[in-house]
Amino acid sequence: MSKVVPCSHCHLEFDESVMIKEVDNEELNFCCNGCQGVYHLLKDDGLDSFYEKLGKNTLAKPLAVGSDSSNFDMDSFTERYIKKTDEGFNRVDLIIEGIHCAACIWLNEKVLNETAGIVEVNINFTNNKAKIIWDEDIIKLSQIIDKIRSIGYNAYPYNRTDSEMKATKNKKDFFLRMSIAIFASMNIMMIDVAKYTGYFSGIDAEMLRIIHMAEFIFASPVLFYSGWIFFRGAYYGLKNKIINMDFLVSAGSTLTYIYSLYVLFGGAGDSYFDSVAMIITFVLIGKYLEVLGKKSAVDTMDKIKSQIPLEATIILNEEKKVVSLDEIKIDDIIEVKTGEKASVDGEVISGFSSFDESSISGESLPVAKKIGDKIFSGTINTESVIRYKASKNYANSTLNHIVELLEDSLNSKPKIEDTTQEMSKYFSIMILSLALATFAGWFFYEGSFETSLIVGISVIIIACPCALALATPIASLIGISWLTREGLLFKEAKYIETFAKIDAIVFDKTGTLTTGKLSVKNMPLSLSKEELNLLYSLSDSSIHPVSIAVKEYLERSFKDLKHLELENIEQIPALGIQALYNDTVIYGGRLDNNIEYKTTIYHFTINNKLLATFELEDKLREDAIDTIKYFKNENIKTVLCSGDNDFTVSKIAKEVGVDHYNAKMSPIAKADYIKSLRDKGQKVVMVGDGINDSLALSRADISIAMGNGADIAIAVSDIVILNDQLSGIQKSYHISKRTFKFIKQNLMISLIYNIVTIPIAMAGFIIPLAAALSMSLSSLLVVGNSLRIDNKK
Amino acid sequence: MNSILWIELVVGIIVSFTLLGIFIWGAKQGQFDDSKKMMNGLLNDSTEDLQDAVKKDEKVKELKANKKEKIKNS
Repeated sequence: MSKVVPCSHCHLEFDESVMIKEVDNEELNFCCNGCQGVYHLLKDDGLDSFYEKLGKNTLAKPLAVGSDSSNFDMDSFTERYIKKTDEGFNRVDLIIEGIHCAACIWLNEKVLNETAGIVEVNINFTNNKAKIIWDEDIIKLSQIIDKIRSIGYNAYPYNRTDSEMKATKNKKDFFLRMSIAIFASMNIMMIDVAKYTGYFSGIDAEMLRIIHMAEFIFASPVLFYSGWIFFRGAYYGLKNKIINMDFLVSAGSTLTYIYSLYVLFGGAGDSYFDSVAMIITFVLIGKYLEVLGKKSAVDTMDKIKSQIPLEATIILNEEKKVVSLDEIKIDDIIEVKTGEKASVDGEVISGFSSFDESSISGESLPVAKKIGDKIFSGTINTESVIRYKASKNYANSTLNHIVELLEDSLNSKPKIEDTTQEMSKYFSIMILSLALATFAGWFFYEGSFETSLIVGISVIIIACPCALALATPIASLIGISWLTREGLLFKEAKYIETFAKIDAIVFDKTGTLTTGKLSVKNMPLSLSKEELNLLYSLSDSSIHPVSIAVKEYLERSFKDLKHLELENIEQIPALGIQALYNDTVIYGGRLDNNIEYKTTIYHFTINNKLLATFELEDKLREDAIDTIKYFKNENIKTVLCSGDNDFTVSKIAKEVGVDHYNAKMSPIAKADYIKSLRDKGQKVVMVGDGINDSLALSRADISIAMGNGADIAIAVSDIVILNDQLSGIQKSYHISKRTFKFIKQNLMISLIYNIVTIPIAMAGFIIPLAAALSMSLSSLLVVGNSLRIDNKK
Repeated sequence: MNSILWIELVVGIIVSFTLLGIFIWGAKQGQFDDSKKMMNGLLNDSTEDLQDAVKKDEKVKELKANKKEKIKNS
């Protein structure tokens, strides 16, 4: 019986029979030549400690990069991406593709640092961006890129924009403010333990003064340094005649701080420096998470832009000329070689090839292109050289259009509803008014300014929205950790609430509702053993998805297949593959390019005699029908949107039972459809996996990407289903709904607490110990209630 | 008793604020910019990595000196 073994380089597991074996002190198994090459390269260079650092992590297979690295030394590239440092060295910013873990970072940095001429390498693990500074007299950039490629990674240049630098600076600023606030609050919390224990065991006034003094020292930087952004926000709010949350946070904490100062330096009562620090710290942590979200939107855009080709080859007076994309004019003749991306939209004028249009339609199957057919920018030529006439310039081409729209969407993500935030706004206005009324009332009846001020401020302090502030974060935290355990990654906790309130869910077809992989539906003919072996060998000679599906089908259905040595293997563009075996011509693929098939067909002929016809289809995922049924039962509208033809989409729509379907949708049409639903006031979830879905994903209230989807789709999504199962979406919805139920309960608890205690405070009956105890009690109630969330009943 | 507490308070605050100062210096240097790398810093903490860091420093110094001379000569 065959067993599954891990590859010695990438650690991915495969059947032992397909591995390349080697014995070198120990038995080595490699899943492909790429892994084998990189393994030996690292071993020869003494870098094998990489595998220790890698541990149990797995890598992607080494990237096979076809394009020539000499592009990186061209003048147009230098002008666009390379900058001079003050010391006269060159600097470039790259995005490294293929980084999975800390060991990958270590390896890349180590290899580059050991390369002569490289002055500085710094690779950021969080966003995979690298800064490289080198001496151009010693080494060229193309050689550096080749070095990165030789160890199985790839690199794209990107331009550091002002928005990125601003986002980085902002993030650093918030990080510092938040760290100081957390540091000080933790110290205050430790001191608080002594203070509150003191109330029970009898604390003398001098000791209490020492404790208050220590709290004052720690709370001051929190209010004036960490909390500075709230004062700034409040100032700009007031300037525009708006009372915002910042105003309420800064007003509440400053009043409490002033009152505590009064107590510390001679006044009677208890100080509340701890409340000042806690309020600022909690709200600041929330703000920092928002800043992180903004920074990752900038990083996502850079990843997308780095995929745009740098230049194109145009034919001018029968001569080839490489020009930058902006220089391409309408009617220019453009040549696209195999593996290259089309730079602008146009129409084929010579040649015959296939294009991978997955970035437009989401379909992995290459589309045949003959004279007169349209070419879209961003699609990849997969077979042979083709020439086409530009029908649009770069600025108006599909790819640029999508990139621009995506940038807009990412910068203006739909505002997420946050019940707590909405509530605390009204809550704070109400508390401030009550405090003011209390002050006025007491001053009117008692006539003492001091007493009135103390009672007024005690209303604010007793209403310290600890329970309210904890209501959402604690419940979300427990919800999020439950989701993570189930392999469902929510990028931010606030998506839980929005997901719990959705009205419609839109699915992509290929790769989302279906597996995205072709498989043979039926094979009606019987072949002899020799013919089967020929077919197997032929299908094994191509990496076309149809050939791979046929090969896999044969491997599954027949035993003891033999690999025969074929000669003159030749790809016939947009049709199939042909080869010779002992003067016999064997062919697999489509017979006539002019016939429009409704499904994918593969013919097998020997010496032009048709022996077998395979029909292939993209299978539905096992849990697709269940998932649609689940959302329909929850009264949520289910929609299927696909770039595929009407026939296929309607068939799948009928099979899974969605409420509505749309076929032949471009990425922009999908995004517009999402927008139209949102304009009707519906909360929309989009589930997708491909580059073509990224625009629609960025427009939805909540976007979900399948774990095996394209990097860009995952980057723009709010939720990632790591185990790649549709049932994960059901589970996410169920957990979100349950968590939201508890958030609402928590809010109720904190409201009831305030309704009971505020009148007592207004009457002037609250003593410090009672205030401290009741505050802790309300917080404990909220925490205790939230712990029931993952009590799976 | 209370005077000892006052001294402890002052010493404690000086020590904790010194540590905080070191942390702020580190953060301003960009040591915490990359949260993921920071968390995995332990992986690059062997003698070999320290030697590499020293070697790298020497290499960079040499490259910078050579470049300076070259610019001066030209």
